[in-house]
Amino acid sequence: MADDDYEDIDMGYEEEPAEPEIEEGAEEEDPDNKNDDIDGLGEPIETEEKEDDQPVERPRRTSKYMTKYERARILGTRALQISMNAPVMVELEGETDPLEIAMKELRERKIPFTIRRYLPDGSYEDWGVDELIVEDSWKRQVGGD
Amino acid sequence: MNRPKSDGMTFTKEPYIEDTGARKIAGISFSTLSETEIMKIGEVQVWHADYYDAFKKPVPGGLLDSRMGAANKSLSCATCHGLYADCQGHYGYLPLARPVFNVGFLSTIVKILKCICKHCARVLLDEDSRKKSLMKMRNPKLDGLQKMQLLESIMKKYKSVKAIACPRCGYINGSVKHNKSTLSIIHDCDNEVVAELQSALSDVNNYRASSDLTSRVLDPLRVHSLFKKMHVEDCDLLYIEKPEKLIITNIAVPPIVIRPSVIMDGVSNENDITVKLKEIIKVNACLGQESGESSKFQENWLMLQFHVAQYINSDVKGGSIYNQPSKPLTGFIQRIKGKQGRFRSNLSGKRAEYTGRTVISPDPNLKITEVAIPIHMARILTYPERVTHHNIEKLRQCMRNGPDKYPGARLLKKSGGTSWNLKLSSRKRLADELKFGDIVDRHLEDGDIVLFNRQPSLHRMSMMSHRARIMPWRTLRFNESVCNPYNADFDGDEMNLHVPQTEEARTEALLLMTVQNNLCTPKNGEILVASTQDFLTSSFLITRKDTFYDRSAFSLICSYMGDGMDLIDLPTPAIIKPVELWSGKQLFSILLRPHANVRVYVNLTVKEKIYNAKKRDDRNRELKTMCLNDGFVYFRNSELISGQIGKVTLGNGNKDGLFSVLLRDYKSDAAASCMNRLAKLSARWIGNHGFSIGIEDVQPKVILIHRKNETIDKGYDVCDRFIEDFHKGKLKLAAGCDAAQTLESSIFGTLNNLRDATAQVCMQTLHWRNSPLIMSQCGSKGSPSNICQMVACVGQQSVGGCRAANGFLDRSLPHFPKRAQTPAAKGFVRNSFYSGLSATEFFFHTMAGREGLVDTAVKTADTGYMSRRLMKALEDLFLHYDYTVRDTNGSIVQFCYGDDGMDPAGMEGENGKPLNFDRLFLRSKAICPPDGDHVILSSSDVRRVLQEKLSEVGMSNSVEKDASDIMSEVGFSADFIQSLQSFVEKNTLTEIITEGDSTNLKNLSNFIPKISGISRRQLEVFLDICLSRYRFKKIEAGTPIGAIGAHSIGEPGTQMTLKTFHFAGVASMNVTLGVPRIIEIINGAPNIKTPIITAILERDDNANIAKVVKGRIEKTNLGQVAKSIQVVYTSRSAAILISLDMKIIEDAHLNIDANTVKQSILQSGLKLKSENIKVLDMKKLQVDPRVASRSEILFQLNNLKNLLPLVVVKGVKTVERAVLEIKKEKKPETYNLLVEGKGLKEVMGIEGVNGHRTVSNHIIEMMNILGIEAARYCIIEQIQYTMKSHGMSIDVRHIMLLADMMTVRGQVLGMTRHGIQKMGRSSLMLASFESSTDYLFDAALRGKGDPIDGVSDCIIMGKPIHIGTGMIEVQQRLEPSVLPRGANPILSGV
Repeated sequence: MADDDYEDIDMGYEEEPAEPEIEEGAEEEDPDNKNDDIDGLGEPIETEEKEDDQPVERPRRTSKYMTKYERARILGTRALQISMNAPVMVELEGETDPLEIAMKELRERKIPFTIRRYLPDGSYEDWGVDELIVEDSWKRQVGGD
Repeated sequence: MNRPKSDGMTFTKEPYIEDTGARKIAGISFSTLSETEIMKIGEVQVWHADYYDAFKKPVPGGLLDSRMGAANKSLSCATCHGLYADCQGHYGYLPLARPVFNVGFLSTIVKILKCICKHCARVLLDEDSRKKSLMKMRNPKLDGLQKMQLLESIMKKYKSVKAIACPRCGYINGSVKHNKSTLSIIHDCDNEVVAELQSALSDVNNYRASSDLTSRVLDPLRVHSLFKKMHVEDCDLLYIEKPEKLIITNIAVPPIVIRPSVIMDGVSNENDITVKLKEIIKVNACLGQESGESSKFQENWLMLQFHVAQYINSDVKGGSIYNQPSKPLTGFIQRIKGKQGRFRSNLSGKRAEYTGRTVISPDPNLKITEVAIPIHMARILTYPERVTHHNIEKLRQCMRNGPDKYPGARLLKKSGGTSWNLKLSSRKRLADELKFGDIVDRHLEDGDIVLFNRQPSLHRMSMMSHRARIMPWRTLRFNESVCNPYNADFDGDEMNLHVPQTEEARTEALLLMTVQNNLCTPKNGEILVASTQDFLTSSFLITRKDTFYDRSAFSLICSYMGDGMDLIDLPTPAIIKPVELWSGKQLFSILLRPHANVRVYVNLTVKEKIYNAKKRDDRNRELKTMCLNDGFVYFRNSELISGQIGKVTLGNGNKDGLFSVLLRDYKSDAAASCMNRLAKLSARWIGNHGFSIGIEDVQPKVILIHRKNETIDKGYDVCDRFIEDFHKGKLKLAAGCDAAQTLESSIFGTLNNLRDATAQVCMQTLHWRNSPLIMSQCGSKGSPSNICQMVACVGQQSVGGCRAANGFLDRSLPHFPKRAQTPAAKGFVRNSFYSGLSATEFFFHTMAGREGLVDTAVKTADTGYMSRRLMKALEDLFLHYDYTVRDTNGSIVQFCYGDDGMDPAGMEGENGKPLNFDRLFLRSKAICPPDGDHVILSSSDVRRVLQEKLSEVGMSNSVEKDASDIMSEVGFSADFIQSLQSFVEKNTLTEIITEGDSTNLKNLSNFIPKISGISRRQLEVFLDICLSRYRFKKIEAGTPIGAIGAHSIGEPGTQMTLKTFHFAGVASMNVTLGVPRIIEIINGAPNIKTPIITAILERDDNANIAKVVKGRIEKTNLGQVAKSIQVVYTSRSAAILISLDMKIIEDAHLNIDANTVKQSILQSGLKLKSENIKVLDMKKLQVDPRVASRSEILFQLNNLKNLLPLVVVKGVKTVERAVLEIKKEKKPETYNLLVEGKGLKEVMGIEGVNGHRTVSNHIIEMMNILGIEAARYCIIEQIQYTMKSHGMSIDVRHIMLLADMMTVRGQVLGMTRHGIQKMGRSSLMLASFESSTDYLFDAALRGKGDPIDGVSDCIIMGKPIHIGTGMIEVQQRLEPSVLPRGANPILSGV
């Protein structure tokens, strides 16, 4: 196999020019970098309540559209709940499949979930499922017919 | 406020114990264990070399001591009293009589020893630099990678140092070497004192032990004591925690569960680790008994060292030869390492339950989203369904049926936790007692979601989810349209099936992995799931111009599309009188839009393969719909107006085909249902129509035989003339070739063209109903040259890109005369497969055939490894919510994915453009047809509407505004807006002309605008579509673009033929292409096979100037420009006289005279001094040999005479040659130079070369000379070029990501283990890639931690990955509970 003989391929690698030394100037960083994380993290429920009481301190910057990954996750979680006999939030019209029920709930924006979107600096934004715009083509994307 | 209460207290209530739930691994930290730590974790000291005593009981203190766990099933653990299956094992410890080196750390130990004084154990750095380095090292902001770089720079100073005095104690340290054969470290203190001693000793006769004096063995004990003495600061400086831990003094004996015994026939076979430990114990015991200085002791110590080394790494060589075991035992390293090792075999890839695998077969009656699962399989695969109100009756019935009757169940899991196998007869009772909340493992049923996969899983479409359909018989079946993404055929292929076991898994599979959601490949946005083979053939035949059906036949065929239950509106027949007849094309209109309530209006134009673009009408316009071959497919509002449908319309790999248009305009379900209908229709139609191939299909007509012979004979004549010219020496040489090469290439070219010529003849003579011809025309199978090979002529066989090589002396086969160059002697097969090959032809054919086989065999391994490396390097990259692309460390790789943040899977236009304006324009004009009263817009109106629409979406003056702000909701890229504006303006241009015309001819003004003008509504619809659709094509946060990119580059690699050389514009200029080139690029190889510099000339329109520049670049030897180089003897001296040939020099426009030659000779390294060379005049030099003794002077002169002609007097030394490339596309021909070889900087500096535009294909050189951005650009360009020359299109965004990943760190990092290591990945990820143990040892040494963030880390630890659906957290929103408020406190109001 090719990857077994990688030992032979480039053993000359050590001859490479050495790494440039790290300059001391590059080590300087802004010291208040870490503070964001501390602000962002905390007791989740507290933040939740805070948001209810007072408007969020900074505007939420992430997209108001629900990504397909979020949709899959929410529907999955909700379908699992429904399959475990959780109370259904919509009127049923003969649907029995938990996933179908979950989809109907999402369509009617009745899923009682909040999504926590993490930004790369560790801070997060909370979005209610009913706040997000779900693309309308999603209901037809189910292959089952 | 619960205070912990003392024991013995009885509670009225149970105390509250918080349920922490299942624990998750937060991180791993690696470390080395010290002697005492090992003793602490050990339960027992192991010292006995025996396993069992006479009563088959484990010996206490032996290797199978039951305190370390149960040795077999009959025993139990003495420590935790767990049974064989329960006890997780306990460590023992084994103190060694003398310390030994740990082989894994041996090289590190040597490195450390090199840096410290072997006397006082301090670092050899002087105090100042030590402090400076220490401060740098202790900087908390450095990450592991930077620390390693720093450490390397410190250690480099002492890498090969000889004799250095310790700045503290003054001890003179020599070099430290590692003796691999004896696993010992030698301190070679070859300093002055010893030298003096030695010189004294050398007087003593026969003193042979002098070498022993200088080199002393640093034995483990000494090293241990040195390391113990090491100062803490020095340890910090050398980035190591406790160096003494690198030396083994105490072995942690692993628990028995790690090294289980295998009982066979009552005899217990011990694990290799146990066996090795036994040997260690034996040697250790011997060592303990010996006294310190005896030679036996030393020998035993070495033995112990060797055994402990083998215990860790059984590959360690050395030790006494007689003691080598016949079969090498597996050490710990062998357990971990390699493809079968723990990391790749057990941790990164795990075995799964609920899977199935069988042979696949096609079934066009299934939907594309379905897979037929054999009933046998469905009885074994189960899904755990929880009992609810809705399904209780169904599950009861399943339970009653039991595991063997089909809609049955295998297991019942009660809510209490007990489970019941339903094979038992009590299942009827269990079924009656079934309660809500129980879980029943029921058989798979119709509509269940399963994952379907075929290896090799090269891209994400290799594993898609389907709906199950339980069917009889024994194969897995699916619609042929889905063959493409799996790359499956039905010649015995097997495929795998997985059943997701939770509701969450099913949902994710359904929403993200279904066939419907993966119709398009993210590689470039082309459709991948599309009709193939027979579907294309039957569509082609149905849509023939002369196909007509009467009412009954047409209705029957219509009912084929569905299952006879669908509503279909019959259109008006194409021919009404004398009988109602419907055309085959009308069938396609029905296929797209079965009845009036289906609001699907497809508009597209496609040029099929048979479209004749050359044929023009009298005004030199393309015939389009009037094409004689009926090759112009035109759908207007779901009506097939013209064209015979073939592969371009229905097949995969096209962005403007029917299914692509359906997918883009009407979403995937429209495309999928249309594919379903077409599959059913064509399978059933062609079943009745019949389509087959027989011997008469490949029988050539007489005229064909005639014309074929004519063509071939003509070709032979041409070749004969070439050969004749060659022998006469009259052959006109091709650029950069000698006569033989020219002959070969011209003959090869002629013969290759011969097959194409015969193919053309062949296609003309075949009957129009010939089956192979039909298949080739519609694109379902076969090409004209395939048909030609069957019918007329097989053609030239080539091996390695040229004609058959000479396997015998001067000839290919002994059937031919020597040195024969004739077509037949070099592998031209004149016969067809029908007429049969002659013996020699057959042999040549096997040669070419074998090359193909070898190629595929080699290629799979190479591309597989390439894909794996790409995947490992890019797996962590994904799109964050702020639309940046980052790696696991959070360092940014791209600020905006692909510079515009678009999803490659959604791109409709060519070259990764988001939209195909032409098609959308056509569509919007077609779906809102102009009525009589529609006002046609003037060009100024058009501009106004455009501005209005743009300002509606907040992009009024788009270009001025910062359109690239991706975070804004609109986020149109400036490029897009610009291209939209220019498109609209260009397409309303015709209207401006008509304005002018209409003033002259009033009559025209009424209808011309209606033909080419655009109404307000049409323009508005067009703009609305464009602007709204753009937003949907934005890539979504959470997309694993790294993995997708790796797939998109790795997968096409498998389709590329391995060794392709290609002529870059000129003959004889080879460029490495194909897989080797891609590997070269992504490895960041410092030496590439064919480095080529493309030099753009400052004046590129003049061939003479180009030739001058070429002469300046190409290296010219002195021998080439010298008239003579001769030795001149005079009575007083001897010298070499060089006289230059000024005519040649001037002809070649070389700026050379005697002075420049002198300079060149001086620089050439001939060790001549300036005074040795005398310039006599402009064209004469005299070179005197260096002053030497008389005896040497002759040699010197001769030597110089031989070497002087090779001195490079002009040009770039690293350049092999330069070739003039002529570009004929533009009218004044332009020239540029292709320079073979390295030396970009020199070429750029040459007069006449435009340095600003001159580039090389050598990435490392580009980086060194032009910088990292140039290297990035070069990577992108080169990969694109290579892919394009193989006819593959990959979205540039993937390549950009790859290039960015290779260059983000400021230097080009190849996708090899060296490069990936520098990308700053976790130890676990690196260990799961290659050379696992090195990284593990390193991590342990530096005490690294691993936060388990990356994809590999998460997989290894069984955690969900933080990409895609795992990126967010979901919280249940609870109504905030209203706390009861008591009365206000009395004092609060005060």
